[in-house]
Amino acid sequence: MVNICKNLVLLISLVVWLGFNNQIFAQNTKIRGFIEANTSLQEDGLSFGFGEQVLFITSEINDNISFLGETVFKYVGDSINEFNVSIERIVIKYNYKGNHSVLFGKHHTPINYWNDSYNHGRVFFPTIGRPILFEAHIIPIHTTGIALQGQNLGKLKFGYNLMIGNGLASGDIKDNDKYKSITAALHIKPLDKLQLGLSYYNDVISEGTEVHNRHLVAEENITQQLLTGTVAYFGSKYEVLAEGTFATSKADALGRANAFISYLYAGVKIKEKWVPYFRIDNLSYQDDEFYFNNDNTTSFVTGLRYEINYLAVVKLEYQHSDRDILGHTNKLIAQIAIGF
Amino acid sequence: MKRILYIFILSLFIGLLLPWSVNAQDEQLVVIGNAVSVPSEIDMNLLKSVFKGEKLRWNDGSIVNIALMKTSTPIGSYTSNKIYNMTGNELNKYFLALVFQGKVKAPTFFNSVNELEAYVAQTPGAIGVLQKVNDTLLKIILVDGKKQI
Repeated sequence: MVNICKNLVLLISLVVWLGFNNQIFAQNTKIRGFIEANTSLQEDGLSFGFGEQVLFITSEINDNISFLGETVFKYVGDSINEFNVSIERIVIKYNYKGNHSVLFGKHHTPINYWNDSYNHGRVFFPTIGRPILFEAHIIPIHTTGIALQGQNLGKLKFGYNLMIGNGLASGDIKDNDKYKSITAALHIKPLDKLQLGLSYYNDVISEGTEVHNRHLVAEENITQQLLTGTVAYFGSKYEVLAEGTFATSKADALGRANAFISYLYAGVKIKEKWVPYFRIDNLSYQDDEFYFNNDNTTSFVTGLRYEINYLAVVKLEYQHSDRDILGHTNKLIAQIAIGF
Repeated sequence: MKRILYIFILSLFIGLLLPWSVNAQDEQLVVIGNAVSVPSEIDMNLLKSVFKGEKLRWNDGSIVNIALMKTSTPIGSYTSNKIYNMTGNELNKYFLALVFQGKVKAPTFFNSVNELEAYVAQTPGAIGVLQKVNDTLLKIILVDGKKQI
């Protein structure tokens, strides 16, 4: 009985303390979502489908700490129930001073503008799909680790991301080897709506490990370095996004292989809601490439985007790809992407 | 009869034009701030930077809380244009994208002027924009030395 009374007093004290602590109740949580539906016409006929459903949660815990979570539900043919749930981002942010923060968790690696700005939010995509460098597994899309972030510093609105993480082939809860990935990304915004960026990524992939969901395998320890340059301009009339990644893979026995991957997107707003656009992608590998799939690719995309409002966008797009291994493909796609 | 008709049409014409001229004069914005942390005077460049979410904290370290009228309201729409050089839709997209990237805390949007004024009055570090201020006790921020922008 005495113990029950003690516990009751403790519980009441806790409730009273929480009641007087404004910091605890300053929490502000918002839940949003994103989804898209597609129709495509290819050589094998007409298809309908839907893509990823994204559950996006943000929460301001107090004036310093905030949380961001992004969970994706998507169709995966070879899973038991044909659907998978994947945690794409779990970021706990501590804003310690001014525009400087430290971030913990699973992040979109801030290695290029597209990955850092859009990733699963298709309503933000300027085109229907991601640039081909994503499906070619060139960049590490996620990194679980810790990052220092600064933004809009000084007249040039300088920003930085310095990240150390588990690296390629690692899981979300443990590193698979002793090597850590390092990402250093810097950018400036010299003019309104213009961003220029540069990033560097370094990691060692251990021998025998499978990377990017088993799409790539390291035959021996491979040191990978990625150097990426970005020009992004999204003005009220014109839109340009150009990114290039120089990838170097080095191994003791296999030697060194370089690849250069790039894309250029451009769009013109002809009315407030209509944007015709095109995108050119290019993947160029050395003949003796030993890590990436050595499938030199050139792709051309042209389309029309109609922005119903900021939460609903319709796109119609023609894609032509020319690949060394997979050959030519032509595709006509329509998509509606929404946020809610 | 012709004279009466002429006066009627002229009155109608002036009557139609009058609201436009009044609106044009009314299209001034007033920036208000919480008594704590928000500076009493600010220059236009810094003001735009603050409202774009580029400054996360005031100089004393307290967090910047942005208060705006909803972009579907006439004041909200005008604020989007004048402060952000964007349409209301572009402004909503701008902040949704930044929140999605985890870069900023979204502004708080209001349906009514009274709600916005109450929020700014009660929230440390809050800054907002209105066309005119009802609450005479609220702190008005001078922008480039002027009460109206």
